[in-house]
Amino acid sequence: MIRFLLGRLWQSAILLLLVSLIGFMVLHLAPGGPMSRFALTPGMTKETLDRIAEEMGLNRPLIVQYFDWLWSLIQGDWGQSFRDKRDVLAVIGSHLYATLLLMGGSTVISMLLGGWIGVRSAMRQGGSFDYAMTIFCFVALSIPTFWFGLVAIFIFSLWLGWLPAGNMITVGDGSLGDILIHLILPTIVLALVNVAIWARYMRAATLEVLGQDFIRTAKAKGLSPRRIMNKHILGNALVPMITLTGMQLPTLLGGALVTETVFTWPGMGRLFLDSLGYNDYPVVMGLLMFSAILVVVCNLLADVIVALVDPRIRLE
Amino acid sequence: MLQTSLTMNRRKALMFLSAAGVTTALPSLTQLGAAHAQTAPAGQMVVGFSQEPTVFHPHLLHVECDEGVHYAIFDPLFDVDEKGEYFPILAKDVPTVANGGISEDGLTWKIQLRDGVTWHDGKPFTAEDVKFTLELMMNPNFQSWRRAGHELIEEITVVSPTEITWKMKELYAPYLAILASTFIVPKHAFEGQDLNDGPFNQAPIGTGAYKLKNRVPGDHIELEANTEYFGDGPYLERVVIKYIPDLTVMYTQLKTGDIDVLALQWITPDNYAEAQTIAGLNLELMGAPFVEGLSLNLQRPVFQDPKVREALYLATDKATIIDVLYYGVQLATESYMPQQSYFYNPNLPAHSYDLEKAAALLDEAGWAIGDDGVRVKDGLRLSFTCSTTAGNHLREQTQQFIQQSYKEIGVEMLISNLPPAVMWGDHWMLSQFDMALAALSLVSGPDPDSSDYLRSDASAAIGGTGQNTWVYQSAEVDELLAKGASMVDPEQRKPVYERLQEVVRQDLPCLPLFQHVNIRGSKVGVQGLVPNVNNRVDTWNIRSWRWA
Amino acid sequence: MSTASLPLAPKTGFWHNRAVKRFRSNLLAKIGLFMVVALTLACFVGPYLLPYDELFIDVRNRFAPPLTGGHIFGTDPLGRDIAARLFHAGQISLMVGFMAMIISTVIGTVVGVVAGYRGGWIGAVLMRLVDAFLAFPAIFLLLVLAAFIKPSPLMITFIIAITSWMEVARIVEAEVKTVRERDYVMAARSLGLSSSWIMFREILPNVIAPIVVAATLTVARSILMEAYVSFLGYGIQAPTPSWGNMLNGAQQYLIQAPWMAIVPGLAITIAVTGFNFIGDGLRDALDVRSQKK
Repeated sequence: MIRFLLGRLWQSAILLLLVSLIGFMVLHLAPGGPMSRFALTPGMTKETLDRIAEEMGLNRPLIVQYFDWLWSLIQGDWGQSFRDKRDVLAVIGSHLYATLLLMGGSTVISMLLGGWIGVRSAMRQGGSFDYAMTIFCFVALSIPTFWFGLVAIFIFSLWLGWLPAGNMITVGDGSLGDILIHLILPTIVLALVNVAIWARYMRAATLEVLGQDFIRTAKAKGLSPRRIMNKHILGNALVPMITLTGMQLPTLLGGALVTETVFTWPGMGRLFLDSLGYNDYPVVMGLLMFSAILVVVCNLLADVIVALVDPRIRLE
Repeated sequence: MLQTSLTMNRRKALMFLSAAGVTTALPSLTQLGAAHAQTAPAGQMVVGFSQEPTVFHPHLLHVECDEGVHYAIFDPLFDVDEKGEYFPILAKDVPTVANGGISEDGLTWKIQLRDGVTWHDGKPFTAEDVKFTLELMMNPNFQSWRRAGHELIEEITVVSPTEITWKMKELYAPYLAILASTFIVPKHAFEGQDLNDGPFNQAPIGTGAYKLKNRVPGDHIELEANTEYFGDGPYLERVVIKYIPDLTVMYTQLKTGDIDVLALQWITPDNYAEAQTIAGLNLELMGAPFVEGLSLNLQRPVFQDPKVREALYLATDKATIIDVLYYGVQLATESYMPQQSYFYNPNLPAHSYDLEKAAALLDEAGWAIGDDGVRVKDGLRLSFTCSTTAGNHLREQTQQFIQQSYKEIGVEMLISNLPPAVMWGDHWMLSQFDMALAALSLVSGPDPDSSDYLRSDASAAIGGTGQNTWVYQSAEVDELLAKGASMVDPEQRKPVYERLQEVVRQDLPCLPLFQHVNIRGSKVGVQGLVPNVNNRVDTWNIRSWRWA
Repeated sequence: MSTASLPLAPKTGFWHNRAVKRFRSNLLAKIGLFMVVALTLACFVGPYLLPYDELFIDVRNRFAPPLTGGHIFGTDPLGRDIAARLFHAGQISLMVGFMAMIISTVIGTVVGVVAGYRGGWIGAVLMRLVDAFLAFPAIFLLLVLAAFIKPSPLMITFIIAITSWMEVARIVEAEVKTVRERDYVMAARSLGLSSSWIMFREILPNVIAPIVVAATLTVARSILMEAYVSFLGYGIQAPTPSWGNMLNGAQQYLIQAPWMAIVPGLAITIAVTGFNFIGDGLRDALDVRSQKK
């Protein structure tokens, strides 16, 4: 186990290095640059842009810039945003809370609701509940999120006037109740897809377990359905569930992106799109590394927990 | 309403370093507010911006929305109002030859400063701060966003805390306009600090009507009234600049009352008709200095034939684009110069949409229809790619609309739209596009000079430093530009710039579609908003904004 | 997922094949098949039945409501017939979604099976590759790649495929790891069968169920990805219609011309739902383990 962990940590370090190198190069080699957004300011000249790019060190060889950035990163300095000169970590930190709030709410809803729907559907495969939920899940998975968000805004904000159309707080308020009201629509929109994903996976996983010999054996032994459920199915369905959690958590950045865009939610997804649009390299790289670290940690945790839960898996 | 309120009068033009000397009653800040008894600031106003202001140091590289905040926090020495007249702010008077502020030869400047002005931190404002600001622009250790004009200054002398003089290397007519958008920053805030990265960048100190109170990144900026403000205003206790990146959402929030003023990026023309039916909203059409057009890269062989450019212009149904796609909001134009400018030439040949004539012109120039329906001449297909910022749906509609017209005369236009960082990077600056749909402002502020966009040596693609991305080469244009910048009398300059517009209209390096007109929306009861084509930033007079 | 790899009884015909029978008895699967077939037919035959060309612009007749002037679904801001555009867009979007699913599922399955069965350093390298790809948010890769490449439908397909094979790979790898230790694999190994035989003939059929489930989600994802990227304006370029770029700009007209958003949005929902129903039916039909006795 210790050897396995050490090996994985070593692999993780290599992975992060790879991600940073690929990300940095792709980002810098792609056409366009951080100066381009100033191009249309009246009175702007190429000379000014070139001079400032030079002063900011953007004209140095790419590999020099990369190692410069990497060395700072290792020392704990994630650099500064080109846009407002704030520390990248502070910029990310100030958007993290909003995303966590949104993701947290919808993840809890989707795990509980999705898990319940999935297991219940599988236990009564082919029943009316299974049918209804299958249809619900597929429709939920099939609706484009941005489109659903807009439709929700138009129904609940513009037409009925029940809920705010976007943002996290009413200007000048910002109390807990205020945030909660703003949270309702984006959370539901985001949860819709995730509930469906969870339900489908849990249903598939539970059916998988149900089809295996030991369940038949348990049934033959005359164990009550509830006991079979608790003792065998949940334990075995846990494996794909953990794998899925490991996969879903890192989508923190990308997953909420669509929802954050539609609802102008001040989270990391929007920060990412904005920074990418402006080619704010330090922030984009910071977000990339942040998400890469999250992926590494979550996957490692998922593998370890799966190994602990399922003794048939060897860790090497 | 637009045309009447924004047309410039001759008086405005005469304010340029005019040797003729006009005695004008300058609308000073105190006069602006004279009709309203100064009361304690009260209430809150929420202003919507579609871009997030992040740069609070007014002399670092920034974009338009940042200036939206600069106007609240800082003051320039003087500014230009909606009639094109200069009025003093930190200066006691606007320097002219007549009042002795500028010497006869235009090389020595003397400015008297307002007494008793304090910075937001309570320290007094003096001539040292003005000197510091002017020197900062040229400081090699500072990443100054603009040096044009400032580089001509030499020998700044602080005569007294309220008087400053300097000499200029040469006569440069546009400098007054540049100075009008130069905000004065406090010397003491930078002592012992990193000029580019000091605490000032996040906690700016100005003399303006509002102080920066709080910023929630990605969401809003809160400004509070500077109760010690020397001039008229402020009238509001609090101004919140709300950042809403999506124009539709922003418009929705104006309708639901979440924001009071929809400023930067305004209401999109497709929402104009609906907005007019909404009670409780005031709409204002404001002429902007930007002209929308199809920029042509004249390095491309297909565009080197003037007949091709002429034919493409004839095949562009401008009237339908403006009336239908832009709901008649925009202003058809033949010139790059804003129509409210004193220097605008209204007598340029009018455009007509005529596909037959366009086709005949191409036939005449030897472009014959090929096997695939696209014209060919000497093995060269009449085909090119048009690009613009991806996601701008009105521009995308315009592209597809003209694509069909061009197809009818045997011209193939492909569409390839790019993310902004790519579009306006080397693609634009180094003229890597064929045709680009863009809005350009060739003039900055009230001065008609546009050398950086039109001079033959201003193309970065051929080693220049300016923004002549059309790679437009014309000896006559170069000559006219040089002549115009070396003259101070607007009446003498006018014919030069009128001729210039004629030449550009004839050569068509860019097919002009229309001058931008922005639709600003505000809640009924919001007062003091004044459209100003000479100052493209909406909040230029935020100090006077108030509730009825 | 070829059915050839399934242990089929040699003498029964296609319609009597057990998997096919099970599929045929699945109501949702039939509905899904009907939805996809109907939509596909409409997209490929529909354009010939309509009076309007999908590229014909008639700007003075913009925003015509549905069922007026021969426009079943109304017109868009340029006065183009939405029905004609919808069908042409469907051809593109269905192709993009389907092809991207195939490519990404093949990549993901191969990587997953090899990594899960081989383990060791090959497995480690492959799974690190999966992690590396997963570490990049898909939208980042999509947007950056779109900036490099001229976005034709083919390129968009590839871009979507190479940003969506990792989940299949991870699921397959996890499943293979658990299957690997099962008796029949041990037996095959002790018989001296080659690794590739064991991997693709013995193990793969037994992990087909999760692959099919994942693949159905990938079709959904690919069509939605295309929609999202085109919606942002970086995908398939005008004047070629796709369901995504038809939605691009539709939000601006939601009050004025709601059909512009509703029609393509519904088309996407129907197509993706249909594929998912089929996938689900296949999953039940192909469930190998429940077939054994």
